[in-house]
Amino acid sequence: MSSADLRYPRQTLWADYVRAGAGVLLCGAPLLALEVNPWLALILAAGFVLFALFLVRTALRHHTRYVLGPDTLCADGPAGAVVEWNRLDRLKLSYFSTKRDRSDGWMQLTLGSAGGRTLRIDSSLDGFHDVVERAADAAGQTGLTMSEATRANLRAMGIAVAGQEATA
Amino acid sequence: MLRYVARRILLMIPTLFVISALVYFIIDLPPGDCVTSQIDELLSRGDPDAMARADELRQMYGLNHPLWQRYLHWVSGIFRWDFGLSCQDTVPVSDLIGERLALTIVMETCTIAFIWIVSFIIGVYAATHQYKMGDYVASFIGFVGLSIPNFLLALVLLYVGKVYFGLSIGGLMDPEYIEQPMSLGKAWSVAQHLVIPVIVIGMSGTAGMIRRLRANLLDELQKQYVVTGRAKGLAPLRLLIKYPLRHAINPFVADIGGLLPEVISGSVIVSVVLSLPTTGPMLLGALKTQDVNLAATFLLFVATLTVVGMLVSDLALAALDPRIRFGASSEK
Repeated sequence: MSSADLRYPRQTLWADYVRAGAGVLLCGAPLLALEVNPWLALILAAGFVLFALFLVRTALRHHTRYVLGPDTLCADGPAGAVVEWNRLDRLKLSYFSTKRDRSDGWMQLTLGSAGGRTLRIDSSLDGFHDVVERAADAAGQTGLTMSEATRANLRAMGIAVAGQEATA
Repeated sequence: MLRYVARRILLMIPTLFVISALVYFIIDLPPGDCVTSQIDELLSRGDPDAMARADELRQMYGLNHPLWQRYLHWVSGIFRWDFGLSCQDTVPVSDLIGERLALTIVMETCTIAFIWIVSFIIGVYAATHQYKMGDYVASFIGFVGLSIPNFLLALVLLYVGKVYFGLSIGGLMDPEYIEQPMSLGKAWSVAQHLVIPVIVIGMSGTAGMIRRLRANLLDELQKQYVVTGRAKGLAPLRLLIKYPLRHAINPFVADIGGLLPEVISGSVIVSVVLSLPTTGPMLLGALKTQDVNLAATFLLFVATLTVVGMLVSDLALAALDPRIRFGASSEK
């Protein structure tokens, strides 16, 4: 199996940069330019911190490439991490939707191997399905126990996991 | 999740800006202004300086400026917690709304907690005991709550309390605590007086929630995976909590955001009937006298609470069940 370079789509990242920049500006500008009531200043400061964090996370994603290999998943960037498939000890696949019919949501994959940093990947990553498939395969080989929600989400993606029989 | 929260908060800012503009302009649309009624009173008393006084008042309230200028002045003052002058008492709006807003938030929070707790317990019980006595009683309460207007229930309770129990139900605290700073005694008095308004305001919301939760849970309980779970020997309570209840509760959680404006608007007339010192009666007065600054400030608070409530309910919905539901689109 050869390695694959995966990245978050440029278009998504630039949209996030615009959102984060607008948020930092909208929350930060009144704090700097106007006389603000202390309680409102606290709310604006909280908003500023949130958007600043979002900006940092977007920048980290922008400068990180994920290398999916036969033995490892390597996040190559400022906050790099390596997940060794044969030592995989954390796998969680969550689906988040804010609609009543559970449609139009997004997924988040959390991975970790013994002694390593935890990696979190969103479904907007190019090749997300391949990563999930490889992780599920590794989990099957290592006999990792997964939550009911993770198993249900894997089944919904059409990925079978060996040794993880579904319960009711 | 961070991306979603950031996107929603970013959307909230222009939303609130547009709402504030719409509210401000709509309140000012009817002919006349807040000075008109005061001048009518002076004219009826035969005051010769009434018109001069009117010009003076209009200048003081800034009514001689164009509407857009008044709006920009009001909206820029929000950052300083300065919402301009109220025409009713010629005092800053921020001084008028202080305690009323706090009492309103306490009352609405208690009402929403009451609605959730009561409707959750009764809704689950009614669904799991379908066509039994408890289900019929819950359905009866539901129909009564939905069909009786809140203000009528308030009037009935006022009458029953006074005539049969000698109780004065009106108000949110004993008279000796009015205009007094917050103390343990005052907090206790407020808590005692909260019971009736919370039941009255929460009645229709509770009834609606009970019926919705019951219907959703009954739908889920009839699905094949529940039958399979039973056949596999899962304990009834575990089966109920782990699977159908999680699905049935989704619309329940999604309604949290919509509940807030419903409760706030529903409490206005009840607050008038029960003489509650909340924002409702003051808002009603402000709208009647075209006190634009005061009414727009209240409505901006309601709008803020609504958009924050919607965000909280959407986040709770996302966190509640991190699974794809088959049939819905899986990835984005």
